[in-house]
Amino acid sequence: MSVMTPLFEGLWDHYILWSVIVSAIAFGWLYHHSFWFTSKDGEKIPNVDEIEIGVFPKHNDDMRLEVAWTILPFLLIIWLTYYSWEPLDAMWTSEDGGVHGYECEEGQVSNNVMDSDGIITSDCYHVIEITGQQWFWSFDCLELDGSLCGSSTETMEVYGSVPVLHLMKGETYLAVMESIDVTHAPWFQHLGTKEDVLPGQQTTLWLPISESMTEESMVLCAEYCGDAHSIMAAKLMAHN
Amino acid sequence: MVGKRSKGAIVALVVIAAMLALPSAQSFPTGISGVQQSGCNCHGAVPSDSVVASIDGLPESYNYSEAYELTISFQGGPSQEGNVNQGGFHLWASEGTLSVSDATAQLYNQNEAGHTGAGNDQLSWTVTWTAPATDKNVDFVLHVNSVNGNADGVGGGTSGDMWSKVAISVGGPVEVLEATDPFVVLGVLIIVSASLLAITLAYVFYRKDPDAFDWDNFAPWLAGWMTSTDHKKIGTLYFVAGLFFLGVGGIMAMIIRIQLSVPGNDFLTQEQYNQFFTLHGTTMIFLAAMPMINGFANWMVPLQLGAEDLALPRINAMSFWLQPFAALLIFTGIFSGHGADTGWTGYAPYVVSEGAHYGTTMWAAGQIMLVASSTLTGINFLTTMAVMRAPGMGWMQMPLFSWSILVANVMLFLSIPAFGVGLIQVYLDRVVGTAFYDIAAGGDPLLWSHLFWYFGHPEVYVVVVPSFGIISEVIATSSRRSIFGYRSMVYAMAGIGIVAFIVYGHHMFTSGMSPTLRFVTMLTTMLVAVPTGIKVFNWLMTMHGGSLVYRTHTLWALGFLVTFTLGGISGMFFPSIAMDTHLHESYFVVAHFHYVLVGGTVFGFFAGIYYWWPKATGKMLSEKLGVLHFLTAFVSYNALFWPMHRLGVWGMTRRHHTYFVTTEEALGSLPMEAAGWNMFITVSAFLFFFSNFILVFNIIVSSIRGEDAPDDPWGGWSFEWMTSSPPPAHTLYKLNDGSWGIPTLKDANEHIANEPGWLSSWFQRLLVTDEDTEEESH
Repeated sequence: MSVMTPLFEGLWDHYILWSVIVSAIAFGWLYHHSFWFTSKDGEKIPNVDEIEIGVFPKHNDDMRLEVAWTILPFLLIIWLTYYSWEPLDAMWTSEDGGVHGYECEEGQVSNNVMDSDGIITSDCYHVIEITGQQWFWSFDCLELDGSLCGSSTETMEVYGSVPVLHLMKGETYLAVMESIDVTHAPWFQHLGTKEDVLPGQQTTLWLPISESMTEESMVLCAEYCGDAHSIMAAKLMAHN
Repeated sequence: MVGKRSKGAIVALVVIAAMLALPSAQSFPTGISGVQQSGCNCHGAVPSDSVVASIDGLPESYNYSEAYELTISFQGGPSQEGNVNQGGFHLWASEGTLSVSDATAQLYNQNEAGHTGAGNDQLSWTVTWTAPATDKNVDFVLHVNSVNGNADGVGGGTSGDMWSKVAISVGGPVEVLEATDPFVVLGVLIIVSASLLAITLAYVFYRKDPDAFDWDNFAPWLAGWMTSTDHKKIGTLYFVAGLFFLGVGGIMAMIIRIQLSVPGNDFLTQEQYNQFFTLHGTTMIFLAAMPMINGFANWMVPLQLGAEDLALPRINAMSFWLQPFAALLIFTGIFSGHGADTGWTGYAPYVVSEGAHYGTTMWAAGQIMLVASSTLTGINFLTTMAVMRAPGMGWMQMPLFSWSILVANVMLFLSIPAFGVGLIQVYLDRVVGTAFYDIAAGGDPLLWSHLFWYFGHPEVYVVVVPSFGIISEVIATSSRRSIFGYRSMVYAMAGIGIVAFIVYGHHMFTSGMSPTLRFVTMLTTMLVAVPTGIKVFNWLMTMHGGSLVYRTHTLWALGFLVTFTLGGISGMFFPSIAMDTHLHESYFVVAHFHYVLVGGTVFGFFAGIYYWWPKATGKMLSEKLGVLHFLTAFVSYNALFWPMHRLGVWGMTRRHHTYFVTTEEALGSLPMEAAGWNMFITVSAFLFFFSNFILVFNIIVSSIRGEDAPDDPWGGWSFEWMTSSPPPAHTLYKLNDGSWGIPTLKDANEHIANEPGWLSSWFQRLLVTDEDTEEESH
């Protein structure tokens, strides 16, 4: 059980792999040196660098090693940057194309597909509107008909009455978002995305609902917005 | 004699009782006319003293789940025999279940009951209340109407009717403690801490000369501290302030952890929680970490440079004395119950909105004073390092701690004006009515984020880079080696200082900032790994071929290497934007920055305290207590912050005053294990908090009966070890010929000492040359 998307999980596993490698090197080295090169009183290897008070000590360096651990981390971050690069195309929203094509004509469907990396591509997308306000969300389906998008409210045990956004699996939506007071951010937990909603400025967010999407998931506010910030919640229902 | 087991049982009972006490319902019916749902539909506007309501049949304390028959009645008012209608009631019970047995009363829900139309012409009613099955404090609120019966007749309606209200509380078989206002807890703890500080102060004065323990001697002694321009005394003052606020910030963290220990807790309301996390962040960064850095820098930079004092001692005193008053301003809001509630980031437009508490204005004002203080400090240290290095000490012969303070102050000096400008804008918006962040008037919602993070990101490096300096000193001295790659260490630190300014956009990956900027900062943020990697590998290599001497400060430095490396690695997850969109504002972020700010900065401070304490006070700290402190703190620290990574990935959100767990996999709430982990974190947090009192105890023991410290207890090379422990009031150094004066630095690398290198000659052209300073000093 997790809120991870396949896209997130792929990146996460890769980063964890490199983290383990880097930690193994650093901590193995630390562990070895902190037991191997020790002494109780400093007598075992006395003062190899002839350290003396008031004298700047002899340089203890090795250009090759220092260059090595400048270059190697640099190569690693180039690789990690390259690895994180591909999903970026799926993150940015632009109205003129991209991985999700153009806005759907009436009656057209997105037919989105997820590749093995978890990146979703679609034929076209639908536009919905999300408005943030202290302290609730409102969803507007605009011109989309009920078979594509709907909104309702539901009473949840702890959050009280929350708005519910009904979307269809296999369809991709572009949320055009704005706030009418302060900054908020909807965190679509099972989509692994969030984006601030700002007053006086529109922001956009892809909501690609894949076939494997869980039916019910939470939308929490992730940008601190005042007193009832933590119960500013909504629900996303993905229908077949 | 109470056995161990029963002691444990008592503690467990108190804990259970305290936890049970935490939930407390607040939705009291107010009884104002027209409040149908939560109160009574009372007739008439004001309650009347002549009507007396009563509930009979309530026990002093209830038995679990027992049903009690309650008789509700009233006397007085216009109600009298023969009226068409006589009266009505509304009863609310905070806990348990109400039920009715006849047609004169009806149930609204399990907590509320009232009369029916049929029950409108009588003076008493009967309802049944079933007590809860656990220990609760149950509040009953009864409203009654005394009716003159003219509803259908002359005068019409409810004129002349009167109402009254009675509230009764009933406890369970085990007495439940009332939940205390967390602000009272915080206030009491701060007052206790301040009193302890005052007692300590008096005691320190007493120890100084037990025979002269009277006011006539105390006043000048205190005045001496308050008016001193001695860098060592001001350094000590910075430490006292820094450690005090570290404690205050810690208390706030503990209160936050109590709130988060179980899901759905209501120890803090959201409103209180907001103020606690805001002040926790502001206190820890600005009132704890920064003063402690300045404490180390004040004490050690002049000593390491071989200087007598800082270049501008009066400016130095002013920098310090701005801080306590800034602290007062920052905290002012909570005395009115309206402390700043914006988060330490204070995002606009919330920070200028009407919803933000009044205390936010004072919070901004206090931080403007801190900006002034930091700017003055920056000028002071940069000047000192430029003109007061001892003869023979070029830029590239400065000890690494002094280098770290140089880099930190350059960063601070270049970044803090942006923060100051932003704060002044916020202050003017809130006070004068300007419209920098008023969106309706065309203000920019992202301007503050840019100004804040342009400062905020260098700022987090400002607080961690001095720790790099301390660790460099400690690792080299403890390994009995000269630091590996001195020059690459300096370049790496300078590199961090430069990179700090071009990465701040990674705080804004989900902020609506332009995608191009996001992409650029993704690339630059990755770069941070390179200079920090160089530093970590250089530290590890310093140990190579050395002979590590295990002292407390060595342990802290090794602990720093572990925790800082872990924090650095978790930091690499954020520049990958596709991951950051999930991790942003989650507990993964909380885990990461506590790993670098506590495991990095604070562990470095602890290493520095154990390392320089003998020099500063002339007394040794106990190694046994020091090792105990390290072991308890290191273990509990990791137990505290490590599980937060997992909570963040699960989707636990930062700055939420509570969270919910569920077994339903479909719903995106946290899984059930999250509750257990949060309790584990809270327990670890308390252990970590209390483990640091071992240091306090160690300091007290050392001051009373510590061994006298030699001049160079650890075998360091830099100038601070050339003077006495503690250094004389007017700092001078012991020269080889036995006299006291300003030393000259020799260089074991003579062949390069005479070639300053391109970087230092470039610096020297920029700044005051050595010849100029020598001329002036002669």
